[in-house]
Amino acid sequence: MPESTNSVVVENLVKRFGDFTAVDRLNLNVAKGEVFGFLGPNGAGKSTTIRMLCGLLRPTSGRAQVAGFDVSRNPESVRQNIGYMSQKFSLYNDLKVIENLRLFAGLYSVPSAKLKNRIEWALEMANLKGQENLITATLPGGWKQRLALGCAVLHQPAILFLDEPTSGVDPISRRQFWDLIHHMAAEGVTVFVTTHYMEEAEYCNRLALIFRGKMVALGTPSELKRDSMTGELLFVDCEPLGTAVETLQSAPDVMDAAVFGNALHLVVRNAAVAQPRIEQYLRDHSVTVRRMEKIRPTLEDVFVSLTTTREAAEEHKP
Amino acid sequence: MFGRLKQMLIKEFIQVFRDKRTRFILIIPPIVQMLVFGYAATFEIHHVATVVLDFDHSQQSRELISRFTSSPYFDVQGQLTNSRQLRDLIDSGQATVGIEIDAGFAQKLLSGQTAPLQVIVDATNSNTALIASGYISQIVLGFAQDAQKQRIGRIAPQLIEQIPSVELEPRPWYNPNLSSRWFFVPGVIGSLTLVLVITLTAFAVVREREIGTLEQIMVTPIRPFEFILGKTLPFFLIGLFDVSLIATVGTLWFQVPFRGHVSVLLAGSVLFLLCMLGVGLLISTVSSTQQQAMVTAFFFIMPAITFSGFGFPIATMPEWLQYCTYLSPLRYFLIVLRSTYLKGVGMEILWPQMAAMAGLGFSLLTVAILRFHKALD
Amino acid sequence: MSFMRLLAVARKELIHILRDSRSLGIVVVMPVTLMLLFGYGVNLDLKHLPVYVFDRDGSQQSQDLLKRFQASEYFQIVRVADSYPAVTRALDDGDAKMGIVIPWDFSERISQGGQVQVQALVDGTDDNTANVAIGYAEAVVQGYSSQVQLNWLQSRGQSIQPASVSVQTRTWYNENLESSSFIIPGVLALVMSVIGAFLTSLTIAREWERGSMEQLISTPVTAMEIMLGKLAPYFILGMFDVAVCAFIAISWFHVPFRGSYWTLALSSALFMIVVLALGFLISVLAKNQFAASQIALLITFLPAFLLSGFLFSIEQMPIVLQWITRILPARYYVSVLKKIFLKGTPTAMLSADLIPLAVFAFVLTLVATRSFHKRLE
Repeated sequence: MPESTNSVVVENLVKRFGDFTAVDRLNLNVAKGEVFGFLGPNGAGKSTTIRMLCGLLRPTSGRAQVAGFDVSRNPESVRQNIGYMSQKFSLYNDLKVIENLRLFAGLYSVPSAKLKNRIEWALEMANLKGQENLITATLPGGWKQRLALGCAVLHQPAILFLDEPTSGVDPISRRQFWDLIHHMAAEGVTVFVTTHYMEEAEYCNRLALIFRGKMVALGTPSELKRDSMTGELLFVDCEPLGTAVETLQSAPDVMDAAVFGNALHLVVRNAAVAQPRIEQYLRDHSVTVRRMEKIRPTLEDVFVSLTTTREAAEEHKP
Repeated sequence: MFGRLKQMLIKEFIQVFRDKRTRFILIIPPIVQMLVFGYAATFEIHHVATVVLDFDHSQQSRELISRFTSSPYFDVQGQLTNSRQLRDLIDSGQATVGIEIDAGFAQKLLSGQTAPLQVIVDATNSNTALIASGYISQIVLGFAQDAQKQRIGRIAPQLIEQIPSVELEPRPWYNPNLSSRWFFVPGVIGSLTLVLVITLTAFAVVREREIGTLEQIMVTPIRPFEFILGKTLPFFLIGLFDVSLIATVGTLWFQVPFRGHVSVLLAGSVLFLLCMLGVGLLISTVSSTQQQAMVTAFFFIMPAITFSGFGFPIATMPEWLQYCTYLSPLRYFLIVLRSTYLKGVGMEILWPQMAAMAGLGFSLLTVAILRFHKALD
Repeated sequence: MSFMRLLAVARKELIHILRDSRSLGIVVVMPVTLMLLFGYGVNLDLKHLPVYVFDRDGSQQSQDLLKRFQASEYFQIVRVADSYPAVTRALDDGDAKMGIVIPWDFSERISQGGQVQVQALVDGTDDNTANVAIGYAEAVVQGYSSQVQLNWLQSRGQSIQPASVSVQTRTWYNENLESSSFIIPGVLALVMSVIGAFLTSLTIAREWERGSMEQLISTPVTAMEIMLGKLAPYFILGMFDVAVCAFIAISWFHVPFRGSYWTLALSSALFMIVVLALGFLISVLAKNQFAASQIALLITFLPAFLLSGFLFSIEQMPIVLQWITRILPARYYVSVLKKIFLKGTPTAMLSADLIPLAVFAFVLTLVATRSFHKRLE
């Protein structure tokens, strides 16, 4: 088995379904013990990528190595060393909690000496102790996800692939789930997570932003917020909001204006220069400005900025 | 209301016809089944493998054998030389009938005694055995009568002109050649339709429940009644289409005559389809997964077809079972089918069957709809 | 191959079956139901056929003839009609299956000598019943005719002993010509088809439809382990059902069993493997439960019913169909069943049936294994 400090190596990975290119020349490396986030809107190619890395789909071209094994040539060795949680809940609903756990313990050949302990551990971790005999279908969403995670790690894999593990789960459960992920990463497990929740992306060590099959940014959350944003961000608390956002679309200096909660985020080239000009502009259009200040961009701002730039670029392609 | 209904119908038809597999299943299997049934399902016998052992070697014994040889029902494959051979051939299944003529056969016949004839019939298929035995009796009795005539002709020739004889003139009504096909083909139309409509309807509803789209539809303003109508109407139309398809293939390919009125058959089909829709819907209300629906449907379909008079006469079933068949819509539809095809009769004779199907259909649909309402609340 | 992984899959599959009472029902209740259905429902013997009589003569002789019909257990004179149309209408209605019409000069012709014919109008829609009925009617009339001739000869002072042939029929293997004995052994093939193919075809398709397949194939479990693990419980249940059916056949219906139990087990196991492999194959290819179940029924249950020799005799089918049955595993299984139940054929002589079964089992298992890929597309 070739030695590598990287758990996952992806080189020029491409996946085409007929005419449609789902993943377009992806390149990345994930180090051992990293919590790596794969961020993007639905249909961006996240699930397709994860499925290729797990050996469930064959790449059209390009190469990927997981745990040192080539996903095209040795998918079975790959599977032995990873745990996978699919996007749609896919444990057996008519089985009891304990029965699902035993099933996956068997499928991953967890040795019988370790079996009892591992199952106990999984139940503890998933906070399902005492609920072993519940039929899985009756569990609330958050519990199901934890159970699925438990089933994926019974064999103590080196790498975990989680495809949107918290979709449809309440915020508290989501927080708890991420605590679990960090706990495992602390023990040396590499976690490859896809999500479309921007705030979850902040929990990752490193992120890749995916849009329409292409990677548009790669780095730690702070790096992305600092370096990938084109322009600076102005926070504007004003009234009436609707009029403001409409008129600002055609205002000078304003690259983008969007509603964020009860306020506006404006993307401008230079905040210091633009701020007084915009205040004037708004007053000219009968908008009362209560507060305006420069703020640090969130990942969502970064993402929107990157994708709109990309979209504009693609529109101008010949 | 019609707007919503129309939308549901469109959706249903799209779902059914977009899937290549479903399209396939609605057309090819029914035609294939009709063809196979038409050719395979037969109780007629011909060319039954027969072997003969003649120890008498007389003119009479040869005459008797030749009657078997020339009969279309029997295929005399060879004359054997010892009993052992006869037994072995029947044991191994190579011969179904074995005839043994003992020495002295002709002599007994000529002297007015009873000449014995040994016949062995392989009754593993008891139906074939029964019919074959019947034909054997007929051939032998005919032979005996002729032998008797000859004797009288020799002994008292003046009487031979005047001796009376009574014969049976069989007149098969509706089916002059007594072709099995004419019996089965109308029956197949009924059975195939039953299977198709019940499974389609039951599946369609349960599938939505299993996948979860049922909930999504129920939160729209659609009313349960419209939903049911939207679900069943397409299958009603598909069922009607399939009845016509199978009937056309059956009639054109096998040339089973149609002597009645299409309108009568249509009325019967409509009523029968209503019953089947009711059954399908009912099944869907007691099943939460497609597997359960299939299994329940199967449980219903097997007895429904077996006890409908489709292949086996109801008259020979035990009394209590005969009473049960009154609950099977297929029983009535088969009567309608066979009567309009072969007997050419109309509503004046078939109204009891129509009424029965109407009654059953109404009850089934009512129960199904009530259950459906309950399930949704 | 990891036994642990296989066991994990098999255990999960067993839990699914046991927990779904509907599927459990089919495994436990269905064999019994099918046995009872076919044992009681299918009766091709004929008794008490309803007959209308139109006696134009009304003489002592015609009465004598009619008494013979009445005395026969095969016929029951339900009405003496007063017109020809009354008889035909009864046939149209279904009130009578046969109408006897005696000509007005019946007794006259008999006393004067010569031939006289009695018409038997037979409802030909059910050709099988018609054939059998005509056979019995012929026998009655011929018996009467012989008596008439005897009387006539005696009245002329001629006591010529009637030459007759007495047919001594021995029906082998099924002495009482019991329909149930002939049909029930084949029911095992039906039961196996349902459990082996029908149920199995749903299992893989269901995992695809629900999404659990994706999770399953992301683990190290191999395609072979998935296949064997999924099919093993059905195999065990199937063999259990064979035992149940054999028990019912022998103890309840008193179908003779003259062969070896080991051969029964062996042939059933082979056939079980065949239908399981087929079910698996269908499931892999069909991907949705509805299509899977329909195809399973079409290529396993239907052939077992129609073309296996279970009910309709293969020898009587058109040659093309006979050739087609050679590639049907059910044909060989039913053949073995009939031979070991009714004939007691020694195992060595069954190679012509057992070898094709074994070949089918081997080839289909191979194809099924190759067909399943642990991939999503």
